[in-house]
Amino acid sequence: MKKTLVVLLVLALMMMGMTAALADGPKAVKNPYKDQLKIGFIIDNIGHPVGNAWKVGVEDEAKAYSNITVQCFDGKSSAETEIQQMTDLINQEYDGILLQATDSAALAASVREAEEAGIPVITLNLDADTPHTALVAMVDYEAGRMVANAIAEKIGGKGNVVVIQATPGASRGINLEAGFEDALKEYPEITLLDKQSGEWLTEKANEVMRDFMTKYDKIDGVFCANDAMAEGASQAAEAMGRLSEMQIWGADGEAKALEYIEQGKMTGTIYTNCFDQGRTAFRLMLFALSSEIQPSEFTETPVVKMGPVVATQETLDQIPENIRW
Amino acid sequence: MRQESIRRIISICLLALLVAVFSLTSSYFLAPKNVYAFLRDASVTGILAVGVTFVIITAGIDLSTGALTALSAMIMANFLFYLPDVPVPVVCLMSILIGILGGLLNGFVVTRLKLPDFIATLATQGIFRGLTMLFAIRESGRIRNQVIKNKAFLAFSGKISSGLFYVTIAFIVMVIVGQLLLKKTRVGVYTYATGSNRKSADLSGIRTDGIKQFAFGLSGFCCGLASIFLLARTGAATVELGTGLEFDVIAAVVVGGCAFSGGRGDVVGSMIGALFMSILTNGIYKYNLGSEYHVIIKGVVIIIMVLFDAVYQRYFRSRLHSSGRKALKGKAVAQ
Repeated sequence: MKKTLVVLLVLALMMMGMTAALADGPKAVKNPYKDQLKIGFIIDNIGHPVGNAWKVGVEDEAKAYSNITVQCFDGKSSAETEIQQMTDLINQEYDGILLQATDSAALAASVREAEEAGIPVITLNLDADTPHTALVAMVDYEAGRMVANAIAEKIGGKGNVVVIQATPGASRGINLEAGFEDALKEYPEITLLDKQSGEWLTEKANEVMRDFMTKYDKIDGVFCANDAMAEGASQAAEAMGRLSEMQIWGADGEAKALEYIEQGKMTGTIYTNCFDQGRTAFRLMLFALSSEIQPSEFTETPVVKMGPVVATQETLDQIPENIRW
Repeated sequence: MRQESIRRIISICLLALLVAVFSLTSSYFLAPKNVYAFLRDASVTGILAVGVTFVIITAGIDLSTGALTALSAMIMANFLFYLPDVPVPVVCLMSILIGILGGLLNGFVVTRLKLPDFIATLATQGIFRGLTMLFAIRESGRIRNQVIKNKAFLAFSGKISSGLFYVTIAFIVMVIVGQLLLKKTRVGVYTYATGSNRKSADLSGIRTDGIKQFAFGLSGFCCGLASIFLLARTGAATVELGTGLEFDVIAAVVVGGCAFSGGRGDVVGSMIGALFMSILTNGIYKYNLGSEYHVIIKGVVIIIMVLFDAVYQRYFRSRLHSSGRKALKGKAVAQ
C-alpha cells in the first residue's frame, strides 16, 4: 500500500518534472551513493512520540549510507525557532531539509527561501503554505471521517459527541476536524455538543473533558485530534466513572494509545506507521536530490499519504510490537 | 577601576571567548552570512530587552512582552489582510500604539492597582494572548493563519547591501537611545534610584510610580517595534507567536548584568546578553550533536557566564565587609 503510494508519487513527480523539466534551476543534481551529503531534520517537538518515531525511521534508513549525515533540531514548538534553524541550515548549505512545520503560514517564507537556494524541503505531517518538494503526511481529513463513521456505527447513528481540538491554527487539526464534521453531517441524529482545544496535551485534554462531563449528562462519543489528548480524556472519564458510557477516539496511533485500547480505556485510533513515514521521507529526499526536477518551479506540493490502520481491539493484532512507536 | 567597568570588561571577554571557541571549531561560524544571521536572531530579543532593562532596573519584571508582541503582530496582520489599502507606515504606527497601550496597562495595574509586577504582568500576558486569539484571522470559524503578501511590509525583513538586516539596525539604534536615556538624562537617574531604594527615592521627591509607568510604557513600545520586524520575518501572525520569548528577553537582560533586586545593569549590558544568547544558540547548531545536547550545553554555558558575575559580586561584597570590620575596629578606611 505504502510502496504503491511512493511509486505513484515518484511518477507524479516525474510528470511534473516533464513540464518543469531540465530547466536550469537552482538545484544541482547529486549522487546519493557517493557525494558527501548533509540532511537537516527540524522536528516540531522532539519530546513527542511522533517526531521521535520519525527520527528513528530517518536515522535507521540513513545508516545504510555512510556518505550521508542527518542532523536533528528541536523546533521547540515555536515557529520563530524553526525559522532561525531554517536560516541556519540554508546558510550552512545543507543538501536537503526535512521539516515538521509548526505553523504552515509562518514557515512558508523560509521553505521558499530554501527551495530557491536549491535545497529541497520535504515536510512531514504539517505542511508549509508554499509549493515545495513534497509533503509526507498521515491521512487527516480521511482519518476524521473514519472516526466519525466508526463512532456513528457503534452508537447506532444516534447520540451526542464532543471534540477535543488541536492547537488553533495547526493544519492537521483543522483537517481532522473538518473530516469528522463533514462525515457527521450524514448522521442527522448525532449532535456535536461542544468542541474545545486541548492544545495537543494530555493534561489540558483531561481538564477539557472534565469540563465537558460536568456540563453534559450524556456523551456518547469523544474525538480527540491526537492520542495524547485521547489518553487525557480517557483518564478524566475513568476518574468520573463514566468511561463505559462513551467511545473515545484519538488519532496517530502511538504505543501508549494502543495499550489503552487493549485495556479498554480507549475505543480506537487511526494508526500510522511513523517509522515508515520517516523512512519514506528520507527515501524521497534521496530521490529529490538525485533527480533533475526543479521543485522551485512546482505550482503545487506533491503529497504522499501514509496508509492508515483503524486500530480497535479487533484490529490491534495487525500492528505487531516492532512497528509500535 | 569601578566595579561596573570590570564587569563590562569581563562580560565582553567572555563573549569574545565564546566567539573564539566557535570560530575555531567551525570554519563557517565567522562567515559574513552567519554573522549577520546571529545578529538578526539577537535583534528581536534585543529590542525587547531594551525596554525590559528599564523595568528590571526599577526592581520590576515584565512577563507580558512575548504576548504583547504577538498581539501587536496580530493587529497588524488583521490590517494587512482585511484593509490592504491602509498604508504600511500607518499599520506600523498602529502596532507601536498597541504596544505602548499594552505597556501602559501593565504600568497602570502595577502602580495604581498596586499589584506585584510578577502577578500583574503574568495576568496581562494571559489577557494579551487571549486578545491575540480573539483577533486571529478565521475561515469558517477555524483559525487560519494567513501568509502576508504585502511586499512593502515584508521589506522590513530585508537587509542593506552589506548584508546587515534592518532589524539589527533598529536594535543598534534602540540600544544607543536606551543607553543615553538611562545614563545621560534625569529619567535614567530616577530609574536607578527607584530600583536601588524605592523608599529613599520617594523621600527625595522622585515620582517612583511615574518612573515605573514610564519603564512599562517603554517596554510596550519596544514590543510594538519588535513585532513589526518579527511579523515581517515570519510572514504570518500566529496565535503562538512569541510564546516564551519573554524568558529569552529576561535571560538576556540578567546575563547582561541586571539584578532582579533592581538598581543595577544597563542597556549595553543587555545588548551583550542578547548577543551572547544568540551566538550560543547559533554556534551550537554547527556541532553535529543531538538536539538534547544543544540544550544541555546552552544551560552549562549560561551558568558559567553568570558564575563569573556571582564570583566577583561576592569578592566586592567581602571587600566591603572587611573594610567595614576595619572601620569598626577604629582603623582608617581607605576608600
